[in-house]
Amino acid sequence: MERKSILNLIVICMFAVLVCGILNLSLLQGVKFRRLSDSNCIRLISQSGSRGNILDRNGKVIVDNKISYDVMILPQDLNHLDQILGLIGRIIGIEVKELKANFKKNFISSSVPVTVATNIKLSDAILLGERKIEQPSIIVTPKPLRHYPYGALASHVIGYVNEIDRWRLTKLEDYGYKTKDIVGFGGVEEKYDYYLRQEEGGLSVEVNHRGKFMRVLGFAPPRNGKDVMLTLDLGIQKIVEENLDGRKGSVVLLDPFSGEILAMANYPNFNPAVFVSKRAKQIAGLFNDPDAPLINRAISSSYPPASMFKVVLASVGLELKKINQTTTFVCQGSTMVGARKFSCWDTHGPEDIFRAIAHSCDVFFYKTGLLSGAQNIHDYALKLGLGHTLGFDLSGETAGFIPSPLWRKLNKFQNWYDGDTANLSIGQGDCLMTPLQAANLLAVFANRGYLLTPYIVKSVGGLDLSAKKRRITAVPFKKSTFETINRGLARVVSDSQGTGNALASLPVKVAGKTGTAQVSRGATHAWFVGFFPADKPKYVICVFLENGGPGHAACIVAKQIIEAMNTQGLI
Amino acid sequence: MIRNSFFKILILALIIASLGVLSIYSSTFQKEGMQWQDIYKRQILWLIIGLACFFLMAKSNYRKLWDANYLIYAIALFFLLLVFGLGVIRLGAQRWLKFAWFNFQPSEFAKLAIIIFLARYFSRKSIDDTSLLSGKFGIFQGIILPLIFVAVPMVLIIEQPDLGSGLMLMLVFVGLLYLTHVQIKYIVILFLSLILPLPFFWHFLHDYQKQRLLVFLNPNIDPLGAGYTVIQSRIAIGSGGLFGKGWLRGSQSQLYFLPESHTDFIFATFSEQWGVVGSVLLVVIYYLIIRQGFVIAQRTQDSFGKLLAYGISLLLTLQVFINIAMNMGLAPVVGLPLPLMSYGGSSVLVTFISLGILVNIDRTRNVF
Repeated sequence: MERKSILNLIVICMFAVLVCGILNLSLLQGVKFRRLSDSNCIRLISQSGSRGNILDRNGKVIVDNKISYDVMILPQDLNHLDQILGLIGRIIGIEVKELKANFKKNFISSSVPVTVATNIKLSDAILLGERKIEQPSIIVTPKPLRHYPYGALASHVIGYVNEIDRWRLTKLEDYGYKTKDIVGFGGVEEKYDYYLRQEEGGLSVEVNHRGKFMRVLGFAPPRNGKDVMLTLDLGIQKIVEENLDGRKGSVVLLDPFSGEILAMANYPNFNPAVFVSKRAKQIAGLFNDPDAPLINRAISSSYPPASMFKVVLASVGLELKKINQTTTFVCQGSTMVGARKFSCWDTHGPEDIFRAIAHSCDVFFYKTGLLSGAQNIHDYALKLGLGHTLGFDLSGETAGFIPSPLWRKLNKFQNWYDGDTANLSIGQGDCLMTPLQAANLLAVFANRGYLLTPYIVKSVGGLDLSAKKRRITAVPFKKSTFETINRGLARVVSDSQGTGNALASLPVKVAGKTGTAQVSRGATHAWFVGFFPADKPKYVICVFLENGGPGHAACIVAKQIIEAMNTQGLI
Repeated sequence: MIRNSFFKILILALIIASLGVLSIYSSTFQKEGMQWQDIYKRQILWLIIGLACFFLMAKSNYRKLWDANYLIYAIALFFLLLVFGLGVIRLGAQRWLKFAWFNFQPSEFAKLAIIIFLARYFSRKSIDDTSLLSGKFGIFQGIILPLIFVAVPMVLIIEQPDLGSGLMLMLVFVGLLYLTHVQIKYIVILFLSLILPLPFFWHFLHDYQKQRLLVFLNPNIDPLGAGYTVIQSRIAIGSGGLFGKGWLRGSQSQLYFLPESHTDFIFATFSEQWGVVGSVLLVVIYYLIIRQGFVIAQRTQDSFGKLLAYGISLLLTLQVFINIAMNMGLAPVVGLPLPLMSYGGSSVLVTFISLGILVNIDRTRNVF
């Protein structure tokens, strides 16, 4: 071959190589390079909307948001990192070392803005914003943060917000939840998170090779979460929390006709704000505290009801006609059940049902219980909303427990003895109920015959849910049963020997029942459940003090609450 | 009188030059500062001057270059030496001479001067029988002597430093040797003697040159430094897709991700905006124009004209190939412009002058 044709061939080959190179880059690897090109110049700066507010029944704010400012930097221009961080540090008064640590911690990739400082002051945010021209890679974004104007108020009802954990993420990924999302934990925040949560919007901007802003490509406005209105009454809730403060226990107030929770307070409680400010030490303290301040005792813990359970016994006896208004048992301080002596807390002498309820006479109810039978007591208790969950609209509700002979046989392989019936009759033994169940039980007597489904969320995003939530089942008891028991409950307070006599001095007539639960360790639990005004009930109250001493202690708390409500004109 | 090849070359060159102006405009219109805004106008001005030179060269007989050959060579050497003393340092290299309102790059002219010199050297005829002397050249006359003439300007160019242009000159030299009647064994000897000591030359390279060669082997060893340009240029070409992002819409070139987007890396700028279709078309146009050069060389009887046409075509081929290949990361990054496309007066002028000479060779060949 001639030299010139070989040269021609070489030249053709060279151009063929060029064409192949172009095809390889643009067609075979085109998608990859396209993505690289976009990530080169497109930055997403997210703007979050604000999480929905939580309101009380009158629309007063319990939890809202306040705007905080975050400082982010576009990590493109790493040569000036020290200089930029130095500038930020000087303005917001944080050491460069800390900023650098944050930068390292939050760095994802060079195309994602990195947050170096959160929650800075407004004045600092403005100062930094002014440096935008000389340092275009600094971004100050407003971020709404949860704000709790009343601190720990209703903390268990509300719950708290925090970064999503792995368990929730795997469960909720399909609903559009992402890592590092802020989601609700506990209470309304968790249960209604889907409605409360905001939709993230943001800017997509084009930047040049130095990360300098060039133009806005698109904007999706962030959407705020929906407001959730609770049935809580802020005024009552405040009174309740003030009076419970410092005593371990819980208070529930509900409307005996609708089942709306007007107040629900527990102590120890927590300030959800610590999760917002991310104070690691305090958060760890909350989780490690043996008193479990994060637990909503009103629905998640169950306790022996003790004398309070006598209301159930009275209903069983009256309904099964084992006793009537004139039945009298003589209390001699104790009674023999089988070979064992069961004692009363006092010697009451002859007691009819009214006096027995008022004095909380154990002997009367031992005998009523033995006449009625354990299975009947169990069945009636279940009819009154005990021993199973109530369908309350916050999660974490516990069922409580009412023992029965059958259960004992099946689970413990033991026989049921009359002694067990006697124990159950005064609400001891295996019997357990939550403060919410106790309040709900009394509501049946306050409204004379309707078992309620208590609920706490009134409306979501302006949509009234009450009609859906109000599930009321009739309790088919005789009218006289309710009248008899209600008279007894009124005498608990009005009778000078009544266990709730402390409440007699109130200008409002209160009816209710106390309870003093024996516990294996420590002081007794104190119960008071009641409704007021006694003749025309508007509220059912349950005060429970864990290891709070005798029922009298609970009466005092209830008295203070009702007194404050009265002076503030809330009754 | 005006022949086919004249129009073909003129039209193809004008198409490429216009695409070049469009690309230069697109890569600079977003930059701040007057000198950036006006850069495409300057290129148009250079093109007009270049066209004038093209017409001038097309009219004047190329045989005059035979006579002026030593003068041209001397002037080229003089300017290259001048660069050492008075050169303007830009982008870390001393390649430019500053004149009244423009910078002049003597190495561009030196390339052409050396080709003219070599073409004449190898087409001298024996006084006795008018046969070409080059067939009888021994190793000294055939290789060593011309090598010395090439090596002097080449060393000056490499020392600027402009490794790319220098090595390219050597390739043109080898190519031309191949096309003369010099015996093939001498060429092999020359080639081997160039290749074998390459590892030793490594120590004479500047750090940045070593870095570029290493980066060529793997651009990711230094993504923010030497490899940055190649990575960005590959992204620019690759992200264009089939039809490109559209004129003035290339994010790589317009947002400064791609350095030198209007000079050495203008192919990436163009490719990003016009896609596979545009870039393949551009390569084809380059091929057509170069093909014209080779066709002219083959049909020219005059051995000086023939070698000159071959040399010019080879020079264009190598510049186009190396530039586009380095844009795609197939060749190491060297400071070579893409003829007719890249911004730069010297390159535009020299290319147009070369094309003018080509046209003139084709026109004159029938006179004999």
